[in-house]
Amino acid sequence: MIELVSYGAFFLTLALTFAIMCLGLNVQWGQTGLFNVGVAGFVGIGAYVSALVTTPDLPERLGGFGWPIAVGWLAAALAGAVAAALLGALTIRLRADYLAIATFGFAVVVQLCVLNLQSVTGGPFGISFIPRPFGALAGDPLIFGLLNLAVVAAVTLGVYAALEHLTRSPWGRVLRAIREDEQAATALGKNAISFRLQAFAMGGAIMGLAGAVQGHFIGYISPEAYVPILTFQVWAMLIVGGSGNNRGAILGAIVVWAFWAASGALIAAIVPPEEQARASALKIVMIGLAICLVLLLRPRGLLGELKTVSRHVDDGKDAKT
Amino acid sequence: MTDSVPALQTIGLVAGYERDLPIVRGIDLAVARGEFVAILGPNGAGKSTYVKALAGTVPCFAGTVLLGGQDITQTPVHLRSGKGLGFVPQTENIFTSLSIAENLQLAADVLPKAFRRSRLEQTLSRFPDLAARPKLRAGQLSGGQRQMLAVARALVVEPQVLILDEPSAGLSPKTVGTVFAMLKEINSTGVTVILVEQNVKAALSVVERGVILVEGQLRHQGRAEALVNDPMLAALYLGAHAPQVAQR
Amino acid sequence: MMAQTIMNGLIAGSMIGLGAVGITLTYSILRFANFAHGDMISWAAYFALAVSTALGTALPGLATPVGPFSFGWSLPLGLIASIALTGLLTLLVDWLLFGKLRQRGGAVIILVMAGFGAALSLRSFLEFVFSSRPTYFTDALQIALPLFAGVRATADQMLGLGIAVVLVALVHAALTRTAAGRAMRAVSENQALAGLTGVDVSQTIRLAWLFGAALAAVAGVMAGVLVQIRPHMGHDLLLPLFAAAILGGIGSVPGAMVAGLIIGLSEALCVQFVGAEWRAAVSFVVLVAILLLRPQGLFGKQIP
Repeated sequence: MIELVSYGAFFLTLALTFAIMCLGLNVQWGQTGLFNVGVAGFVGIGAYVSALVTTPDLPERLGGFGWPIAVGWLAAALAGAVAAALLGALTIRLRADYLAIATFGFAVVVQLCVLNLQSVTGGPFGISFIPRPFGALAGDPLIFGLLNLAVVAAVTLGVYAALEHLTRSPWGRVLRAIREDEQAATALGKNAISFRLQAFAMGGAIMGLAGAVQGHFIGYISPEAYVPILTFQVWAMLIVGGSGNNRGAILGAIVVWAFWAASGALIAAIVPPEEQARASALKIVMIGLAICLVLLLRPRGLLGELKTVSRHVDDGKDAKT
Repeated sequence: MTDSVPALQTIGLVAGYERDLPIVRGIDLAVARGEFVAILGPNGAGKSTYVKALAGTVPCFAGTVLLGGQDITQTPVHLRSGKGLGFVPQTENIFTSLSIAENLQLAADVLPKAFRRSRLEQTLSRFPDLAARPKLRAGQLSGGQRQMLAVARALVVEPQVLILDEPSAGLSPKTVGTVFAMLKEINSTGVTVILVEQNVKAALSVVERGVILVEGQLRHQGRAEALVNDPMLAALYLGAHAPQVAQR
Repeated sequence: MMAQTIMNGLIAGSMIGLGAVGITLTYSILRFANFAHGDMISWAAYFALAVSTALGTALPGLATPVGPFSFGWSLPLGLIASIALTGLLTLLVDWLLFGKLRQRGGAVIILVMAGFGAALSLRSFLEFVFSSRPTYFTDALQIALPLFAGVRATADQMLGLGIAVVLVALVHAALTRTAAGRAMRAVSENQALAGLTGVDVSQTIRLAWLFGAALAAVAGVMAGVLVQIRPHMGHDLLLPLFAAAILGGIGSVPGAMVAGLIIGLSEALCVQFVGAEWRAAVSFVVLVAILLLRPQGLFGKQIP
């Protein structure tokens, strides 16, 4: 029973770290219509920055300031925001899909950097001994697990509440207005580019924070955690949950992560070890198909967007006489 | 085919962007062969949508479009030019990245191979300005020249009916005169010409008949000379509610 | 040494250029960045592998290397089959996915996302069937022949370079001199007007897909011959391809080829002077530079 509870806590904590990423993606895509194919890059930057800031100094590696976890998390959010702002500033004025291509390239480069800048990132070995919240209580898995769940849940709720507040604020209304009709929004005197940039940076900050929270929960990071498949997972979560809807983003993260973990366990149990890589490939085929099917059949996801109707769904016609 | 068959006719045409919110709401109109007609009406009357429905770029929800007696209501857009219907949109009516010659060749590509070259040469001979620089990128043409090219492009296939959506929009008064003179000349060769115009005075000075749409329906029509002084027309354009006059 | 680096860059660049021509064509006509294009390259390589292996097994004579090359006639035959099969696959994906979304008239970015989902499925499906282990068209070894000034290249590499240049010239000629090419350029500028002018837009879109697929097939087989065949081979090429298409100017065929060569050269120089581990970053650096300095690309028109 205790094992079950602590496994449940572990599962839910991890799922909520994905939920935070998903909330970040929702600000960019769901609220603003900006397509980010480099989620893994932003999450990775956050995880590494926070790890560098909080781990103790090591002789064979640069960095390691031994600062408090909270400082690490803030630094991670800041790094995510700066990276997103730079990429956004580069492409947001251009065609909509240039941002997608740039973020795609960005994730490739982040992956290369963490792999190759061994003196900073530990290279392929990654960084271990990242301080975990309540690390002193690690001896009692149940208490430790529940406390960590509480921390991650608090962060998730905090981000959720802040985003809900922003969505309802004039800022959020302007964002939606821009998404629905850029010309009208610009004509109203709002600087559409600056608003989209703010939203993109905010999404980047949230993803960076999510990466840090996840890294500190697991206590160990390495390059293979930030490969493109992470981006796909987060996208699948948002689409299943319903883009534009913050509660959907959280729900989608939990549902998809449950599906992912369960199918992983199933494959491990019934597929012979030498075939497991293949079987997981099939799992990814299904994520890709799910994305396409949801776009085709249920463009608003499980919960759909509240209050406003997404322009991306079924409208694109010019209603001019 | 006899001359009594209208060049173009619509019967109860309902068209628009959304089925439950049609912009054209039941228009009956017949245009005789060789006629020159202006479609007039206040902003939002559905003039532009009406001609786009004729060209096939706006869906028709009910009614019929007949071209020379043949039902083309469901004919795909790209087959209409070959059937003899030329359409010149109001904006973006030439391919700016193609040369003048390529713009015309593209239109000629629907013709049987044997006719293409001669049709191109005939068309160019009518537009000496264009014929002088066939390799020029169309994007470098002036507003008036663009309009010429757009009309030339539509004429390549020798349409029975030429439809233009606000050909004078954005042109200087002098160029408007040139464009209208050109249309008059085209009409004099036997081509039926239908144009949508905001510029009522200029339009009525060249066309034979004016047709006035209000709120997606045909409200009034008459000979151009008569319409110029028609008080009803003035009332419509002043934005006041149109007096309820029985149609025709 | 420097001359050899340049040679290597040109050979890799011609492959990137071919793929980029496919991207630039479909991009300018279909108007969205197709993330599945890279995976079409991988599928094409596996199609060719399957057909040429089957032919080579059935008729062993076909598998005997021809002249100085590492492969027998089964590979060119496999390539032809692969062009057809890759074409069918793209049309199938368009029919099932992109076409339906286009009809709905949604935003461009929805198509980008659908391509992204399709890419994921296509790639992982290859991994499922063939596993991620690299494989090769032949195991014949090839000796690099001395060309000039100490520069060496294999016969396969020279053939690839030649095919790429000829193919790009052919595609360019087809676009500028034929009715179908005019129709494609017209559709890429203004679909509505193209329809009014008598161009069958759906037909032209299918044609653009087929062109893109054929170029992807040649690029895929070339990459398979010169490097290796892996389910991720096309996906790993995607960033260089996009960077080349944007650098050359979307819609410009010669631009895409020249840009592909530039990227190939930059990668070779990076391997030589910075380190092979940073090669994948070169395209991103080029991409950032071009977006900063000249977002319409070297040969591009104004951004619409």
